[in-house]
Formats: sequence, C-alpha cells, structure tokens
Amino acid sequence: MTAQRTDERDNERRRAEHEPLLRIENVWKSFGTEQVFRGIDLEVDRGDVEVLVGPSGSGKSTLLRCVNRLTEIDEGAIYLDGERVTDADANVNELRQQVGMVFQDINLFAHLTARENVTLGLRRVRGFGKSEARDRADRELANVGLSDQVDSYPAQLSGGQKQRVGIARALAMDPKLMLFDEPTSALDPELSNSVLEVMERLVEAGMTMLVVTHEMRFARSAADSITFLEGGQVVERGPPERLFERPERERTREFLESIYG
Amino acid sequence: MIAASSTALPLETVEPIAAVAAEDWLFVLDNYEYLLAGAVITVALTATSIVLGLLLGFPAGAIELYGGRFSSGVVRKAGVAIRGTPILVIMVFTFFVFPLEWLYVLPASEPFQAAVLALGVRSAAYQSQIFRGALRSIDPGQLEAAQSIGMSKREAIGYVLVPQALRRSVPGFQNEFTIVLKDTSIAFAIGLGELLRHSHDLMTQQTTAALELFVFASLIYFLLTISTNRTLDYVNDRYAIPGEG
Repeated sequence: MTAQRTDERDNERRRAEHEPLLRIENVWKSFGTEQVFRGIDLEVDRGDVEVLVGPSGSGKSTLLRCVNRLTEIDEGAIYLDGERVTDADANVNELRQQVGMVFQDINLFAHLTARENVTLGLRRVRGFGKSEARDRADRELANVGLSDQVDSYPAQLSGGQKQRVGIARALAMDPKLMLFDEPTSALDPELSNSVLEVMERLVEAGMTMLVVTHEMRFARSAADSITFLEGGQVVERGPPERLFERPERERTREFLESIYG
Repeated sequence: MIAASSTALPLETVEPIAAVAAEDWLFVLDNYEYLLAGAVITVALTATSIVLGLLLGFPAGAIELYGGRFSSGVVRKAGVAIRGTPILVIMVFTFFVFPLEWLYVLPASEPFQAAVLALGVRSAAYQSQIFRGALRSIDPGQLEAAQSIGMSKREAIGYVLVPQALRRSVPGFQNEFTIVLKDTSIAFAIGLGELLRHSHDLMTQQTTAALELFVFASLIYFLLTISTNRTLDYVNDRYAIPGEG
C-alpha cells in the first residue's frame, strides 16, 4: 500500500519533471460554422519563448485566449504545469493569476493611475496590504522604466508607456506564463521599441512566454521556437533559424517572406 | 379703483392692469413664506425620490445587463411597464391603491409617501437605463483585463466597470434630476402641499394674481434646476478621469 503510494508519487514527480509548463493537446474550436482550430498540439517548456505567427484569422489570438480561458475550447485539453486547466471544475480565477496577459488594445483600467492599475490585482486578488501593494507596484513600474509616471492616468500616457504599464500589471501577479497578444501592433513603430526592450529583458530573466507578434526581428532574436498556424492547424514549428532559412513547407516560406520582406 | 389718467391717450386699459399687477405682486410677496414652505416640500420630495430612484435604479441597470435570464427579464419587463405608464397614473395608484401602511419607514404624510414612491420608482426605471447604457459603453476589454489578472466577473464589474460607468452616468443623471424636480408638481393631484399646490391655494384667494403666482413658482423651479445642474456639472468635472474628455 505504502510502497504503491510512493511509486505513484514518484511517477507523478517524474511526470512533472518532464511535463512542459504549457501543453495544448488536440484543441478544437469553432465559432458558429467557422472552424478555428482543427486539432492543435503545442508544448512550451519552462523558460522558453514560443512565437505564434500566421495570417490574420488563423486563430493566434484565440489560442492565447483559450490558454487563460477568456475563450473556451470545444474539445481537447490544455495543461498548465501538469494541471488540466480546461476542465469545467478547474478554478478559472486561480488559473488566470498564474497566466499574465498583455493585450493588443492594452486595456489599462481607464479610471486608475498607472500605480493603481498594478495595485488593484495585488490588493483585491492577492490580498496584499496597501503599502505592500504600493511598494510592489512601484518596483514593477520601475522595472519597465516608468518610475516617473506612477501617478499618471492611462489617457495621459503614450501608447508605449501604457503597454509597459500593462506588462507591469500582469507581472505583479507573479505569473508562471506570460501571454502577449500582438503587444505592439497598436503602437507607432518608434514606441514599439520600448515595449520590445521590456519583453527582451523578460526573456533574459527566463520568463516562459507565448507571443503573437508580427515583429519578426523580435521573433528571430528571442524565440526558442516559432509556430506557424494556418487553417486551424500547426503548419510548421521549429527554431527561428530553421524556419526562416530552411522551412520545410512551401507555405511557411511564402508567409514568412510576405511579412519579412 | 385707481384714479383714471387725465391724458387723452387710451391708456385706461393699460394703467389699471399695471396697477393691479403691482398689487398682485405685493400679494405674492406677502405670502412668500407659504410659497417657500411649498418649495421646501418640493425639494424634499425631489431629494427623496431621486435617492430612492438611485438605490433601486442603479442595481436594476446592472441586473438587467449582467443578471441571469430570469432576473434580468423581470427587471427589464418591470422597467418597460413603469416607463410606459404616465406619472399621474402611477401616483394616483400609489396614493389610492397601494397599501402605504406597508411603508413604516417614512415619517411623512400619506400624500408625501405616495408621491415619493411614485416618483422614486418611476425615476428608478429611467435611472436603470442611464446606468445600463453607461455600463455598456465601457470597452469590454476592461472586463477582460480585470478577469485576466484573476478577478471574478463580479469583482471585475465592481472594481473596474461600475466606477467608470458611474462617471459616465452623471450627464444622464443630470437630466433625470431636472425631470424629477419638475414632476414633483404632479403631486398637486393627490393634494400634497408642494410648491405648485401652494401657489394654487393662494390663487384661489386672489384670482387676479394667477400670473404672478405662477411666474414666481416657475422662478423657484428654475433656480432649483439651475443650481442642481451647476452642482452636477461640478461633480462631473471633479470626478472626470484626468486626460479624458
């Protein structure tokens, strides 16, 4: 009995060690008659950066939203740290604390200052005290280079500054995984750089990231692997050098050429 | 009654009226305390009705938008029914039909209670729409962003959507306030001694002063609307989100 239980625990640990942080398994999803995913599989290891690329409408953003269940999948399963998070009885709010999300349209809380945007989750979700939350928020904002803007409201910030607050807000929850949904697409090119720099620093710090982006320079330098999605399926996946230089599929080459120029 | 003018011009018709008017204005001034007492009832009725409308209306707006199928359906239908009924009908109902003894809470006369109930509930039906519209006007991304840091939908609504929607409700609320203030005069019909009723009482004593009395009453209504509007303008500016409109 005891031996058996020890075995089980050993097995579990071994599984956990080999378990990728994020495992997406045979995910199907449709919106009405439109089939978005036809069996997507994807694994992201701890500390890895996975970049999703694909033509518009290929479901890149939807896939991110499925990971933190802003959108529910129809079939298949998603595991975070070995836990099946797509189960009906899984705690969605707990899952979302572990998965930070940065939005294309930023979505800062418009009525709160930069600092309050970060402290809201700390206080209401993580139960931090007032001064503790404030210190943490100021630290997160300093990390994204916004120490001098803590009291500014979103409407008083530039797009790049806003998106950096968005990143600080997500990081304050100490997520295991960060989802970036085209974080720079809504920004002027010269404002994108400040956001990309912050993301690059996160990569160096070892954050596990799933990124939808058209910034091929970032994908090339930061990604451990790139996944090309089209038609609701993974067309091709591989390290950036291989995908850019010697793609296996003609379609991948065409697509990367079309956006990389 | 006033000595006729000796001029040849046909002023006889003008001068007596001017003189009578002066007399009637004096009548108004002599009775200003009675009129102001009516104005006080008008203000009290407005304030109580608005607060009742706020307490019922804002939650109703949120329920209509976010509630379950049953609760939002009930609220929506009740709103349609109330908005589709003339205020005078509602007030006659609350006065003659509704068992006011159920409302132990209000230490006020029955007409006052009936008027507050009618104006408050009617205002709630409109305020719910003001608030619902304000909530709907907020980018759905705000809700998703709040949920993405682990807030439940209820927390997200409470901490992120409601504070923004309240600010956006002020202009609509400003209109509603003015409407309730002016519609307190309907309570005349159930015999409540508000401003219009008191003006009317005085008119029955001196019928020639009808114009003066009602001009005076209008002036008071006007001052009350202007001052509340200015106050709410201030509230709107004071709580505006910095950097936004």
